[in-house]
Amino acid sequence: MRGMHHHALRVRLGVALAVVIGAVLLAACGSSNSSTSAPPGSSGGSASSSTSTASGSSGSSSSSGGSTDTSSCGPKAGQAATGTPINIGTIDTKQPGTDFSDGPNMINAYFACVNANGGVNGHPLKLFVQYDQTQPAQIAAAAKQLIQTDHVVGIVGVFDLLECTIDQSYWDQLGIYEMGAGIAPECWSTPHSAAVNMGPRYSSDGAVQYGLSQHVSKIVFVQSNVPGTGYIAAGPKALADAMHVPITELTANVPINDANSLALNLVNNAGSNGWVVLNFTPPEALVILQAAQKLGLEDRVKGWGCSTPCNTDFLAKALGPKWNHKLFVNAELTDADDHNGPEMQLYKAILAKYGSAVAGGIGSFSQMGFLLAKFSVGALDTIKGPYTIQSVNTAFKNIKNQQTEMLCQPWVYGPYPLHIPNNSDFTTTPDNGKMVTAQGCTPISNADPQIAAYRKAAGEAPSTNPPTG
Amino acid sequence: MPSTTDLEQFLITGLSLGGVYALSGVGMVVLYRATGVLNLSFGAVGAMGALIAWQLINHSGFGFWPAALVSVLFGGAITLAYGMVFGPALAHRDPLVKATATLGLTLILLGVMDLLWPSSGGASRSLTIPTDNNTFQVGQISVTYTNVIALALGLVITVATAAFLRFTKLGTAMRAIANDRDISAALGVPVRRVTAAAWFGCGVLAGIAGVLLADLVALDATSLTFLVIFTLAATLIARLRSIVITFVAALVIGVVDAELTPVQSLSNYRDMTPFVLAAIALLVLNRRRVITVGRQGV
Repeated sequence: MRGMHHHALRVRLGVALAVVIGAVLLAACGSSNSSTSAPPGSSGGSASSSTSTASGSSGSSSSSGGSTDTSSCGPKAGQAATGTPINIGTIDTKQPGTDFSDGPNMINAYFACVNANGGVNGHPLKLFVQYDQTQPAQIAAAAKQLIQTDHVVGIVGVFDLLECTIDQSYWDQLGIYEMGAGIAPECWSTPHSAAVNMGPRYSSDGAVQYGLSQHVSKIVFVQSNVPGTGYIAAGPKALADAMHVPITELTANVPINDANSLALNLVNNAGSNGWVVLNFTPPEALVILQAAQKLGLEDRVKGWGCSTPCNTDFLAKALGPKWNHKLFVNAELTDADDHNGPEMQLYKAILAKYGSAVAGGIGSFSQMGFLLAKFSVGALDTIKGPYTIQSVNTAFKNIKNQQTEMLCQPWVYGPYPLHIPNNSDFTTTPDNGKMVTAQGCTPISNADPQIAAYRKAAGEAPSTNPPTG
Repeated sequence: MPSTTDLEQFLITGLSLGGVYALSGVGMVVLYRATGVLNLSFGAVGAMGALIAWQLINHSGFGFWPAALVSVLFGGAITLAYGMVFGPALAHRDPLVKATATLGLTLILLGVMDLLWPSSGGASRSLTIPTDNNTFQVGQISVTYTNVIALALGLVITVATAAFLRFTKLGTAMRAIANDRDISAALGVPVRRVTAAAWFGCGVLAGIAGVLLADLVALDATSLTFLVIFTLAATLIARLRSIVITFVAALVIGVVDAELTPVQSLSNYRDMTPFVLAAIALLVLNRRRVITVGRQGV
């Protein structure tokens, strides 16, 4: 009896557990086209390696632009590349809370498009992706695996928190010139790395610069308490000092446990004619801004600013209309909603046709992936002869005057001791659930000594103000 | 140094968070007393419940309250299921083993949440309780009714649970099991049913706390999962026995944490608040105990 009773109880519990799990799955799968759904092709786990089929893994996407012809991404429309593949590598952060996989997934999408339309001089492109969980040893090992095992000839991507710091000396030894969209200071301050993004320092410069232009009496700059904050904060401080405006620099531990107190502290520090600038990931920034709103603090300062991660419609939608033209976000890339020239249409079309793994759809990560893929393919096209580490990286280093609708200036690599090719930017602001442009292309001030040093080495590229429409 | 007005403002933000830590702590203490399990999956269960509520509201057309109800029921169901499946097998193991086993559930839930609600592409989510729209002014800041509910709920749950344990048959049975599981079973206390009630109650409180903290802190799996540390400190100060001391300790932790925010030299260290307070409390309590024992010895 006792055994049967236990058996019946276990069966009931099993059924209950199954119902709970079913309910969870049902809830989670309620919207298959959600922009936050899991990337179908993504791989997780530690130091996971995946290679692109890059053979036209076409899928659907919620992004618009699917009707545009994608064949212009390659030299021979509709003709698949059949030569020996050109191996390209990338190292990207993918861990709970920090998932940059949209970047490499978009590069994969672009490569798939190129491969389906003639390839690079007849060669298909193959992307080897190494994901890391911000462990230095793991990142160093990933670099060696890409070179020694996968025999990649170039590094394109690097949507990573640490990679530029860890692998610079290795790339230097090998003569590799990586192209990326990283976070670490070495992505901009070294000869062997050039990024399409501005990174946290220069984007924070841009957000602070906009605040200073509003004639505020104080700047409060706050960022997450992680390694490298001193390097980032040096830029905003230099800009504020140059304008003789006092600046208070704060850090906050992440994840933020008490956003209400933090928001209150920021506002109290800034004062009524002050400007609060945040440098956080979108979820953390959202938490602070929502806390400020709940406490009725949003109007107790002259304005709020944020570095580029806040430039998402997710944030604008979640914040609501109270923040319309109250929050000003530095935007290092053209807003895909505001601009619809031929290049933006191609980006959207590739995303729609080949980018089913890009979970976030249209957004800065996929835009950066598109740009990196486009610039690298353009450079590879120029190579006459074998694709070796030397030939490929010489081609990458020689990239110059890359006109694009997505940046304020032509992009350049060049033989410089440091690389900040994206140094002119937009400012956006929420407007009823969308981010809209508040200020067109504006160069970051030379008051930041790093910017001044780069312009001295590379010259000042003109702002091109990409077309709208 | 911050002014008195500043400190008053931070007192309000600290009290509301302290209230939620309190109701979480009460759930953990009741479960510990009934089953001997320190439930470290409390935060992860609450986080997953909150994310389910977000999903139902944003993608299945649910209103806030029905979604919150599902979240709370999820918390109860998953915790009950864990307790019923693993509870009996671990009943006679060391408390450390039981607590570590709940970390397994935490890790599984964290993995599932990361899979179902990834943070790629700049995704940021928020769960807003409708009571956020109703505010009143205290000094220079607005206080939402969610702040009030958080504090009030902490108090109500503490009082109700204390009354439940003292005056109801089930509560008496829970206390009996806490004293001696085997003797209680021999005396006819339905151990399985009583512990099931404790597991379910703990899960329900995890669900409630998850929804409240998703609004007050952030709708983020990692943040919510590890907020259990604040609660844990409160329960340790109460030595996993007194729910009243748990309540008071949770409020103190919330307030001290908030009050340290404007002190720039200490602000980045305020996450240590629960550990420091717990360590001080345990040292003081142990010292008293040593003195008492010493006197008895004399």
